[in-house]
Amino acid sequence: MDVIAEDVTQIWPGRHGADVVALDRFSHRFASGRFSCLLGPSGCGKSTLVQIVGGLEQATSGTVRIVDPKRPDAARPLGADSVMVWQHLNLFPWRSVVDNVAFGLEMQGVPKQQRHERARALVASVGLRGFENHLPGHLSGGMRQRVALARALILERPILLMDEPFGALDAQTKIVMQEELLRIFDETKKTILFVTHAIEEAILLGDEVIVMTARPGRIKEVIKVDLPRPRSLEMVSSKAFGELFDRAFHLIREEVMTSMAQQAEALEAQ
Amino acid sequence: MTARRTNAPGLFERLLPTLVIVVFIIGWELFVRWRGIAPIFLPPPSQIAKYFMRMVMDGSLGLNLGATLLRIFVGFAIAAVAGVALGVLMGMSRLAARVADPWIAALYPLPKIALIPLLVIWLGTGEAYKIVISAITAFFPIVISSYAGIRQADRGLIKAAEDLGANRRQIQMKVVIPSAIPSIFAGLHLGMGVTIILVVAAEMIGGAGHLGMGNLLITAGQVMETEKVFASLVVLAVVGAVVIKSQQWIDRKVAPWMTSRDEH
Repeated sequence: MDVIAEDVTQIWPGRHGADVVALDRFSHRFASGRFSCLLGPSGCGKSTLVQIVGGLEQATSGTVRIVDPKRPDAARPLGADSVMVWQHLNLFPWRSVVDNVAFGLEMQGVPKQQRHERARALVASVGLRGFENHLPGHLSGGMRQRVALARALILERPILLMDEPFGALDAQTKIVMQEELLRIFDETKKTILFVTHAIEEAILLGDEVIVMTARPGRIKEVIKVDLPRPRSLEMVSSKAFGELFDRAFHLIREEVMTSMAQQAEALEAQ
Repeated sequence: MTARRTNAPGLFERLLPTLVIVVFIIGWELFVRWRGIAPIFLPPPSQIAKYFMRMVMDGSLGLNLGATLLRIFVGFAIAAVAGVALGVLMGMSRLAARVADPWIAALYPLPKIALIPLLVIWLGTGEAYKIVISAITAFFPIVISSYAGIRQADRGLIKAAEDLGANRRQIQMKVVIPSAIPSIFAGLHLGMGVTIILVVAAEMIGGAGHLGMGNLLITAGQVMETEKVFASLVVLAVVGAVVIKSQQWIDRKVAPWMTSRDEH
């Protein structure tokens, strides 16, 4: 599935009458089976964008279309082909691991035995066999992240929207989860939109890195990442990686400075 | 895994609370005997125990306690059903919240004991009045907590459910109501506490011939049977503690995630 964003603009009503432009005429085609990373300073509207793509927010103006490249005429409803993985995970704390993972199927009315069977298989595939009946509160951060991933994967949607999914993890766990995600991407060839503010992560995972400007969020530059797949963490020390990193770093540094100045200004205005 | 308390309490730490109670009782006994205080003012624990046994034997304790407990549970049950139902309704329907809000805002801060004269005029001093006064009192904290619980449902969880394909009804049944359960339970705890208070208080009015711990207390007090007053107080304290503890136990059984809520 292609995700085609055209002039997507999101304006939030501001507290002091001044409206905040979170996203400004964002246009991009996220091609089928491509891993796209959205990289930008906080407040640049990258989370808003994936929520608009997922049909969870309404853009102020502009359009997002989901198009099957084989049937380019039939536009698909937003949200029907995608599923989110959230930074705050949003696991249901009262549901066991298996019931969290099976949630999407339960909403579709899949009978309990069938959905549990599927959920158990997925739980095992993300390495959580034996923890099926645990509550999320009794798991470590990395394990909870796996549950969140399995809960999204069970729906077998062609588009995976990931909003800083590994942002809250410690460094080691993050590495393991990145490898896990790379494996899943290589196996399923989903279209992935991955929001991050970590340059290294964006380059390691993505086929392209969309560098965004500080608020109002616009595309500053799209960096093609031509590192071979399957990717591995060793590539981080390669020369090609270093060059990509430098390029992204120079682009983003300016924006981070602008973003920090904006935040300071907002604090003073209060 | 988040850090958990690994150092289990030692024998001393576990026995200390009991030890303090024992020392307190012995101290009380010795103090009363040493100073020769009249039992009418402060009876020694041994005398209280004797009266307690007598009340158990002649069946008066069982009867009065039974009557009080029955009223507590009936009053609480009415308040719980009505309170949770209205609270959830208010949380889900803005119209219901708008209509109910001024009533609750006006009636909640009113000391419910102030309603006793009115209720006695309307209902007399029988069962109906005791149950109604306790149910009314318990109703308010339960409504308010249930309403707050529904309103405070995590926006992130609702969005996640929506993303996973839940419709409006499914979101309410599968996300909003479960996430309100800790708050609803907190309201039920408060409600149970005030039910106990109000039933015993209501029993104090109504005069002789009525059963109930409140009645037992007030009649014993009037004839200066201070031992009986103390014995009744101890019974009430223990019953209260047992009720609260069993509520906590039920909480853990019904909502085991509540204990690990801060970790999710």
